[in-house]
Amino acid sequence: MNFKHRVVSIIARAALLAYAGAALAAPQAPAAAAASAAAAAAPAPAPAAVPAIAPPADAPGAPPGDFKTLDQEVQGLKKDVIDLNKDLFVLQEELLFPANTQVALYVSMDVGAFFALNSVTIKIDNKVVTNYLYTAREADALLKGGVQQVYLGNLKVGKHELVAFFTGKGPIERDYKRGATISFEKGVGAKYLELKITDHVAKHQPEFSIKDWE
Amino acid sequence: MQRVINRLRALILGGLLLALPAMAPAKNVKPDPNGLPPQDVKDLHYGDVLFYFYQDDYFDAITRLLAARQLDRLPHTQGEAELLLGGLYLSLGEHVEAGRIFEALLNQNTSEAVRNKAWFYLGKVWYQRGYLDESERALKQVSDKINPRISAERYMLLAQLMMREERYDDAIGALSSWHGAPDWTAYAQFNLGIALVRKERLADAIPYLDRVGRIETRSEELLSLKDKANLALGFALLQAQRAAEAKPILQRVRLEGPYSSKALLGVGWADAGAGDFKRALVPWLELRKRNLLDSAVQESFLTVPYAYSQLSASGQAADYYSSAIESFDAEMKRIDDSIEEIRRGHLLDRLLDDDKKDTLTWYWQLTTLPNAPESRYLYQLLASNEFQEGLKNYRELNFMSRNLDAWRDDVSAYDDMLDTRQVAYNRLLPKVDAVLAATDLDALTRKRVDFESRINEIEASNDVAALGTADEQRTWRRLKRIEDYIAAHPDDPDLTEMRDKHHLMKGVMYWRLSASFKARLWNERRSVKELEADLKETQRRTVLVRQARAAMPTNTGAYGGRVAAIRARIDQLHRRLSDVSQQQNRYLQALAIRELEGQKVRILTYQIQARYELAAIYDRAANDKPKAKP
Repeated sequence: MNFKHRVVSIIARAALLAYAGAALAAPQAPAAAAASAAAAAAPAPAPAAVPAIAPPADAPGAPPGDFKTLDQEVQGLKKDVIDLNKDLFVLQEELLFPANTQVALYVSMDVGAFFALNSVTIKIDNKVVTNYLYTAREADALLKGGVQQVYLGNLKVGKHELVAFFTGKGPIERDYKRGATISFEKGVGAKYLELKITDHVAKHQPEFSIKDWE
Repeated sequence: MQRVINRLRALILGGLLLALPAMAPAKNVKPDPNGLPPQDVKDLHYGDVLFYFYQDDYFDAITRLLAARQLDRLPHTQGEAELLLGGLYLSLGEHVEAGRIFEALLNQNTSEAVRNKAWFYLGKVWYQRGYLDESERALKQVSDKINPRISAERYMLLAQLMMREERYDDAIGALSSWHGAPDWTAYAQFNLGIALVRKERLADAIPYLDRVGRIETRSEELLSLKDKANLALGFALLQAQRAAEAKPILQRVRLEGPYSSKALLGVGWADAGAGDFKRALVPWLELRKRNLLDSAVQESFLTVPYAYSQLSASGQAADYYSSAIESFDAEMKRIDDSIEEIRRGHLLDRLLDDDKKDTLTWYWQLTTLPNAPESRYLYQLLASNEFQEGLKNYRELNFMSRNLDAWRDDVSAYDDMLDTRQVAYNRLLPKVDAVLAATDLDALTRKRVDFESRINEIEASNDVAALGTADEQRTWRRLKRIEDYIAAHPDDPDLTEMRDKHHLMKGVMYWRLSASFKARLWNERRSVKELEADLKETQRRTVLVRQARAAMPTNTGAYGGRVAAIRARIDQLHRRLSDVSQQQNRYLQALAIRELEGQKVRILTYQIQARYELAAIYDRAANDKPKAKP
């Protein structure tokens, strides 16, 4: 085979394989699907390279090895770290907020057409226990159905009073501040209270209430 | 937002399962309050998990979900929570665990829509990670009753998977029978064309690749696909010695696109194939001005002098070969330097230097390369799933290492706290013991019982004076004494007036005492009840204090044991993380070096060819000279 034929043959075959291979690495979604977070985050596909004419050499002393084996090791390790985090989370709660004194306050939001939450201030027995300012991302998470544990603390057994002040934007974008109060009995078990923001459709106003979870 | 169960479920399964294209529109949708009743939160702790989940904070979400599950805090949301857990595992790249959960859950009473999405995204993640068998099994679980876009992507993934395994007949079968959304058709036809070419069925492939190569579109993605189809078809025709047909197809590739260099190279070969080397020089000389990093440009360093040689311009051919040898030398030196730089071990840290480190998501990808000499050679590598997934693993290991560092500080604080508690306990213990010793609950109980009995007696005997005030009782006692005196002197006429007065005064006194007796009795009974309640509370508190006193050393010891055990786990996991992280680093480093070595070998091959041809030109010149002067 003369030089011309050799070069044509090598390059054409190699390029063909490369381009066919590149097709597999091509973006897997057409434009309409490119709105996906994953696709948007993906780098633009790099131009196909003509593969090496000779087989590529491995780095001396450090063979790539098997991706799957390493990946499975990473999977197992990550699972162990996640489990450890769970155990640490439980230990932390039991140690710092034992059930017989634990009080947990949650904020939930239903609908939110008449109120955009900016902050909440909570007093227990006339003492401010938390003053929380919401980011747009957090307020959005509440709107989607998330429930925020806004305070976790300890209280003695007995009667207590909680007052919550909500500030934000009310109907027609007006500054809005409202309160809600509840007297509750702290028993020997953990006490959960839910500060609820709901819409009163008939009144076109938000409503604020506190639910005592027995 | 109206939390309607179905919508929530859709968000859960969609949102995470996962960062889904199809579900993306569900995010940020302004809630519509009309007509939908508010939905109460079923489990506060599940809502708490969702709060983190909706902020894409999957690591906190999964930690809280696992803790809530362990503490039995999800009585009403177990099913949803389990499905969410599978999705969260998948989001964190834990596809093995996610697969285990889905396989256990999705065969039960899960809706077909949920099942389909879960299998689809699991299959997609497995495909990206190279678990092709698992991916195929998952994708085949997806039924056709699914969003058309997801259905199309599923078929495409299956076909690509078969092609990666070189099962071209299977891929051809799958793609030939597929009728999907129009915007996916081009991709299907392209892949079908490629599969046919690989099976050496060029005649069958031509219509498909040609159709994609002619599509009218303004979409950058489709324009890129169009270029690739023309390029692949052009080179397939060149390989089949059909240069004349190849040229117009290669000329359809955009000059400003990413495939233009390869197209220019091909056009040159098409001209050369037709014997028109002068015309071939036009694209090749244009190509030669471009960046030598491009393999097509590297090849043009050989093809240009080759064309001159064919045109008998040996001098120019020799010059271009010499220039190519020098350029290849310089390029190989740069590659060697880059390999050395990578071997120093800082490649990954440099790649992740600008990375936002506080989030973990499965769709994370490195999108920019650092401004370093070795970066210019790594674009191709970066586009590969293998490198991206490995880099993702490395990044996640780093995240977890930092996570353990933070916990390690907290755990030290727990130790201090337990020590402080123990000191406080030791200080309080004598006082507590003294109070407990002084508290005779039995005696107090007996007193209460006696008191109640006395009240009962007073009521039964209607002893109205017994509940009188101190003054009334004193008066009542004086009247009693007078009564006794009068009774002792029944015949004394001087006492007649006193007898009448006593009778009157006793009557008045009795009337007063009787009138208030019921009220006083009620008050006394109430006091007894209050006393009983106080006594019960005292008993309860005493029990609590005794329990706390007894449990404190055990609790402290138990917590101390747990803290010590957990610290040991942290240390052990830290060592494993460090070890696996290094392995991952070495693995990716080896991939990068292999990529660079490959490029170097290719350039070396070109250089050898250039030297060989240059030597041949000199030989020919040397052989020609003696003939020239006989």
